[in-house]
Amino acid sequence: MNKTLRNPYVYLLFVVPTIGLYFLFFVYPVFQSVVYGVTDWDGLNPAKFVGLENFINAFKDADFTASIRNNMYFILFSIFIQVPLIITFSLLISGVKRFQGFYKTTVFMPSILSTSIIGILWQFMYHPSIGFFNKFLGWFGIEPIYWLSDPKWAMLSVLVTNAWQWMGFYIVLVLAAILAIPKEINEAAEIDGATGIQRAIKITTPLIMPIISVVVMLSIAGAMRVVDIVLVMTNGGPAGATEVMASYMVNKAIRFGQYGYGTALSIIIFAIALILTAIYQLVFARKSERVEY
Amino acid sequence: MPKIFKKGVPHLLLMIYVIIILFPFVFILFSSFKYSNDAIVNAPFGLPDRISFENYAEAWKKAKISTYFFNSAYLSLSAAVVAIFLAAATAYAIARMRLKRISNAVYQFILIGMLIPSNVLFISQYILVKDLGILGTHWSLFFPYVAGALPFSVLLIVAFMKAIPSEMEEAAIVDGLGVIGSFLRIILPLSVPALVTVFIINLMGNWNEYLLSNFFISKDYLRTLPTGMVGFRDSFKMNYPLVFTGVVISVLPILVLYGFLQRTIIEGLTAGGVKG
Amino acid sequence: MKKKTITIAASVLMLSSVLSACGSKENNNASPSASSSASESSSPSESAAASSPAAVENFDISLRHIQISDLQKFRKAILEEVVAKSEADVPGAKFEMDPVEDSVQRFTKLPAEMAAGNPPKIFDLFGGPGDGQKYARAGKLLDLTPILDELGIKDQFTDFSTFVVDGKVYGLPIGASSEGFFYNTEILAANNIAVPKTMDELDAAFAALKAKGITPMAMGSSAAWVPFMLVNTLVARYAGPEIQAGVGDGSRKLTEPEVVNAFAKYEEWIKKGYFTKGELGIDYTGQINEFIGGKAAFLFDGTWRASAFTAEGDGKALAGKVGYFAMPSATGGKGDQTAVNYNQNNGYGFSADVNDNEKAAIKAFIKNLYSEEYQIRGFKEDGVLPSMKVDPSKLPTENPLTKEAIAINAAAGSVFPHFDSLVAATVNGEFEKQIQNLIAGKATAQKATEAIQQVQDKELAALK
Repeated sequence: MNKTLRNPYVYLLFVVPTIGLYFLFFVYPVFQSVVYGVTDWDGLNPAKFVGLENFINAFKDADFTASIRNNMYFILFSIFIQVPLIITFSLLISGVKRFQGFYKTTVFMPSILSTSIIGILWQFMYHPSIGFFNKFLGWFGIEPIYWLSDPKWAMLSVLVTNAWQWMGFYIVLVLAAILAIPKEINEAAEIDGATGIQRAIKITTPLIMPIISVVVMLSIAGAMRVVDIVLVMTNGGPAGATEVMASYMVNKAIRFGQYGYGTALSIIIFAIALILTAIYQLVFARKSERVEY
Repeated sequence: MPKIFKKGVPHLLLMIYVIIILFPFVFILFSSFKYSNDAIVNAPFGLPDRISFENYAEAWKKAKISTYFFNSAYLSLSAAVVAIFLAAATAYAIARMRLKRISNAVYQFILIGMLIPSNVLFISQYILVKDLGILGTHWSLFFPYVAGALPFSVLLIVAFMKAIPSEMEEAAIVDGLGVIGSFLRIILPLSVPALVTVFIINLMGNWNEYLLSNFFISKDYLRTLPTGMVGFRDSFKMNYPLVFTGVVISVLPILVLYGFLQRTIIEGLTAGGVKG
Repeated sequence: MKKKTITIAASVLMLSSVLSACGSKENNNASPSASSSASESSSPSESAAASSPAAVENFDISLRHIQISDLQKFRKAILEEVVAKSEADVPGAKFEMDPVEDSVQRFTKLPAEMAAGNPPKIFDLFGGPGDGQKYARAGKLLDLTPILDELGIKDQFTDFSTFVVDGKVYGLPIGASSEGFFYNTEILAANNIAVPKTMDELDAAFAALKAKGITPMAMGSSAAWVPFMLVNTLVARYAGPEIQAGVGDGSRKLTEPEVVNAFAKYEEWIKKGYFTKGELGIDYTGQINEFIGGKAAFLFDGTWRASAFTAEGDGKALAGKVGYFAMPSATGGKGDQTAVNYNQNNGYGFSADVNDNEKAAIKAFIKNLYSEEYQIRGFKEDGVLPSMKVDPSKLPTENPLTKEAIAINAAAGSVFPHFDSLVAATVNGEFEKQIQNLIAGKATAQKATEAIQQVQDKELAALK
């Protein structure tokens, strides 16, 4: 039997296509990025080796550092605004008996739409004259706000849209974890006289820490990847207020033909992602390991 | 009173959330029936005075929504299906086959992919698909979609397959079932929850994808829904009702499908999912 | 390009021939001679047909154009006619139309396709070192010189210098344009405002309108090339019409006090709230919409926009209620204060990678599109000034706006181009960025001009 499960030909058959595709479209481009990253290359003429110049310039490039900050806003908004809301709403949905399915179905709905459609939709929600937000403010006599065209508001507007799109997805994940908690634990606490809110904070929340940790990880990964919503809604504007690392990189490479510099930026994005993963491992993953069912 | 309060407050909060979610949909639906920008400006939330499908006929004619939709659907589906099969086979080799040392190396190698934010590869992938001569074709999206889905899919399916007890498989192999048979007949069916989860996540990711399809595809009839609709918006910026109508048309089939499959999708998403 | 003050005669013909005579330094040999006659403009149709293969072979030829919205319906109609004619000329040819939004084409699609080596066979193209000339140097564009010679239309163009590299022609301007102020006559009359003749009068008009709660100028700056038109002309007013060429070749600097003054004037207008509120979120179409809706008194735009304010145009609500004037003279402005902006920088380019069939189709396309007939129709229907020598008596003058624009151009002492036809893409990009920063209050006139000059210095240094 061991022989059967050691069949090297089948092993190769099962592994090689995956490794091949993964290598060609994932690993090889990473190496290529390093190669292009040390050149000055406009995509039209031969590349010129420039060493680490691109990397040095990147950190002097105020627009790029501003875009790093905007990615950080995505992460902070996810962790400090979205995650608490996700937990709250998951607890609320898990607590109700009627309409539970309806709530679940509805909150998940935005996740099935494509980001670009959502971007178009929300552009109109933020529209200065026909949009919902300004009509709403108008009822209270508040002057219209130029959500997507005012550098002060644009980033927040994009963050809210992003939250609208993805919160439901995470709520469904967390909800599944809550509903998987054995009923006895909660029932015992109820007999001991714990109120609903006490139970939620003291019992349920610690038990779902592992999934919350996963949500945090996915949020960070999502924040590092974010680009579609920015390209569709603001294209990095107004005046660079919503530019994220990826949109800046794409812009440098495509519009200005700075392929060398662009790939150098992509390596820096990769490096930042690695650093964040390490921080996450230290802060969240370790903690959640201690929680046991 | 306290009891009603206790029961009422969660529903009240949840209803507010539900309204926030549904609101934009209602807004575009109403607006899509209006005739002019002015009608929307004057009463954005008013009901249309009469139901007219002129916008729908015009939007259908002017935007190739059906083409975009078809492109997106078949690309997302085919890439997700292929990724599932490749990932499942590899996961089987890693989790169930007895070549531990090499499996470990393969697994670690693939996991590195989890650390790479996909858009980091954008420029290099662009040059790669150009060098392969597939730029501007659907292959230039298909391969990156499949490859991009592999690390996560393998990770999740390996975790699931490792948890499957080995008795049944061993018994079958003793009875003369080959390794491919064991994979197809025993392990694969048992892994369906994980496969469904991975499939849904990949499908959603492909359906959503904008960056690559925006830059790798230039011919209009090859565009996917996300890029096609952005192009439509850019063309008819002045005509809000028409843009809204386009959005409604593009969203409707998905919502209907979701209406039928929501239970499968939501439960599937979590069934094979991450455990702590 | 040296300073050239030119006298412009009262006809478009004269205007255009003189312009061509002072084409950029790169193309002395390619500049059409001013003396050539316009009578040969109908070119032989046999040539295209003859060069197509005897056996009919079906093939597609991709054509990327930018006529996507209703505002451009006239141009699109012309293009479709040209395509139909060309398909008839070249049996088997099927033009595959691929419409893309203007700035997406110029700044995203085409650069990416050029780098990838798969541009469409025929495409909308801008001239200048940031666009056409860059691609031509990299060998990506089809040398049109032999085709132009064969069709005998090479000297029919008034000026295609921004598409010329080493004496070879790589692109053909579809039309010409000037940029100036459109104004809503009703709003001005209702507020007792006369057409401003000096910058001070313009300032006063803006201030009076603003005080009454009327937006003085419609503006959409989400794509910065739109406000850049205004800044470009302001800079020429304050620093003279030679400034664009001077900055382009390094003999002048954007940090000169006159240029800073121009930026400061623009900054002042921003600070005083003379532009549409939330302009950074409004695009070019939105800006026109604003003006058509009667929500703003002035609009700074190209002469091509004149076609919107006719009975058939998108701005028919304003038909007969719009006037046009050039940027008023600036107190203390350097150089010729009557100079007008004049561009022939947008047109079509063709991929270098074409086979004989495609070449035949391209030839037919050029022959059909670049003809007197369509130059006249483009002018009549679309307000596009001719880029070829057209007998001025054939140009219809029903549209009072184009008539006015031609009169103003004819009276102008000199012309100046747009920066974007003379500087590299990075410099153009920096211009756009700094303009948006000014709007957002993130830069000052001083800082903005310094930043742009810095990028230009770097580009010039790289050329050496």
